[in-house]
Amino acid sequence: MSEELKLLFAGAMGAGKTTAIRAISEIAPITTEAANSDHTECNKEETTVAMDYGEITLATGEKLRLYGTPGQARFQFMWPILATGALGVVILIDNSRPDPLADLELYLDAFRALADGGAAVVGVGRMDRCPQPSLEAYAERLAALDVVVPIVPADVRRRDEVLTMLEILLQQLEATWAYDEAIGDGLSGHGLMGAHP
Amino acid sequence: MNARAIAPDVIAAFDEEIRKLHARVAGVIGCVLATTDGRRVSAVVDNEADPQRVSAMVGSIVALGETIGREVMIGRTQFVAVSAVDGMILLQRVPAKRDLLVVGTLARRHTNLGILLHETGIAAEAAARILDDWLGRDLQPA
Repeated sequence: MSEELKLLFAGAMGAGKTTAIRAISEIAPITTEAANSDHTECNKEETTVAMDYGEITLATGEKLRLYGTPGQARFQFMWPILATGALGVVILIDNSRPDPLADLELYLDAFRALADGGAAVVGVGRMDRCPQPSLEAYAERLAALDVVVPIVPADVRRRDEVLTMLEILLQQLEATWAYDEAIGDGLSGHGLMGAHP
Repeated sequence: MNARAIAPDVIAAFDEEIRKLHARVAGVIGCVLATTDGRRVSAVVDNEADPQRVSAMVGSIVALGETIGREVMIGRTQFVAVSAVDGMILLQRVPAKRDLLVVGTLARRHTNLGILLHETGIAAEAAARILDDWLGRDLQPA
């Protein structure tokens, strides 16, 4: 069994990738933020331009290496670089963006190889303020794309909700051929909710 | 700063500095001025490289270079260089009051690195003055 597993956080600018990694990382996250020069896309002061990095150790002693991608399409060249060797991806969707279903399609397409292997989970944020599209609408879109991955509402500021997404993703991974091939004996009893610290 | 909102005369001044950098070093085959978050501001590229994509990469690589510099505690990164079989690219931040721009210079293989560094630095300082003047101008009462 591998003792270090690489997972990705992907999604649009402002979807919460950096926040999610900060919420759970047991080391000071490595970030590459620069001043945001495009407030039409997202009204925040800084944006990730290369990658985020954090780590979390499972109760079993396995270490998850967490990589966050830059969200804007112009940084697509970074996505396959960061995806190399990744076992799964958490796709974060911001439901307050103009067309979150299109965002879903963009990031699913970018990480299709992982999604097709069941190595993906979709977390939808800001549903409290923007309840539409509903989770059912996401499920319908995924079905239309012939993709079967879990969809969950997620507030990435909350550590427990980020861990829940990872728990779901790891359970997905256990159930896939790709994961069995890569890891061999699976991750039974990984106990994410008991992650350190 | 929103790159879409840079005044035309400021863009023209940046364009002039990028053109001058491109012209004054024989081996230089491309120059790009980009925002630190990877958006093109000004570019002259002789080969088929896409300035828009290069601008995004310049922003990422400078950020990565600075991040690893901090991580290994070697102080503030001065420049990032990529040396390849057929050329090199030199990347550095524009030393303005606000960290908003980066400049990249693409050169042929045998171009002298010292000269490239010097000339890229001159262009970066010129861009810094233009940026500082523009941001200061915006702060002046109408």
